[in-house]
Amino acid sequence: MKTMKPRGSGSAHSGLGEWLLQRLSALYLAGFALWLVAQFAIAASMDYVSWKAWMTTGGVRLAFALFFLSMLVHGWVGMRSVFLDYLKPLWMRSVMQFLLALGLLALALWAAEILLVDVRA
Amino acid sequence: MPDNNYKRPKYLNLLHIRLPIGGMVSILHRVSGVLLIMAMPFGFRLLQQSLGSPESFAQIMALLRSLPVRALLLLFTALLTHHFLAGVRHLLLDLDIGISRSGGQLGAWLVLVGVVGVVLIAGGCLFS
Repeated sequence: MKTMKPRGSGSAHSGLGEWLLQRLSALYLAGFALWLVAQFAIAASMDYVSWKAWMTTGGVRLAFALFFLSMLVHGWVGMRSVFLDYLKPLWMRSVMQFLLALGLLALALWAAEILLVDVRA
Repeated sequence: MPDNNYKRPKYLNLLHIRLPIGGMVSILHRVSGVLLIMAMPFGFRLLQQSLGSPESFAQIMALLRSLPVRALLLLFTALLTHHFLAGVRHLLLDLDIGISRSGGQLGAWLVLVGVVGVVLIAGGCLFS
């Protein structure tokens, strides 16, 4: 694989960083999904008190925080390649990527609110 | 320079393109990914409401038990399972596993069979 950046290519880069981020986040998301399904499967009962107590656990909150982070990164890289492949006009691609960034940023703040405020309230 | 290239037929009409099974699984990976991102705000809302109070938790549980939402949950399960399994297939392809023509086809079929299997199990749990 040619990893050396050609000179004079302006803002263009190899995309290797995105490629790696997509796969690292994919691995975490896959592990998290299997863990969550297993947790729900072994849960004896599902009532508010036990649900909230479980979500308040430090390890669970950390796992969810990493999950939200991975999902936003994964979504950014994935949607970006969809836009790059199907949206030809530069202005359209730029507008969509800007809206995507805004949307994901809003979701990040929302996730932070859930993990920092709702879980402890 | 001969103009053969100029006259070759172009089939960019999506209705005229018949994707091989690997291509089908791959495009569904994209479609499911986009749909899963669009589902994210709803998941966040459910999570937040469920943590609010015993009353809002009960509301969410009642909502999840309603028939249309159970159907949506099954659709969500299908999308997530497909994205998961097709993603695993792509990761294995990165490692040159299942990269041959026949191996690629087998992997794609395994993804589809896995999705059907998980959807059947989830459907049994959701609608029993």
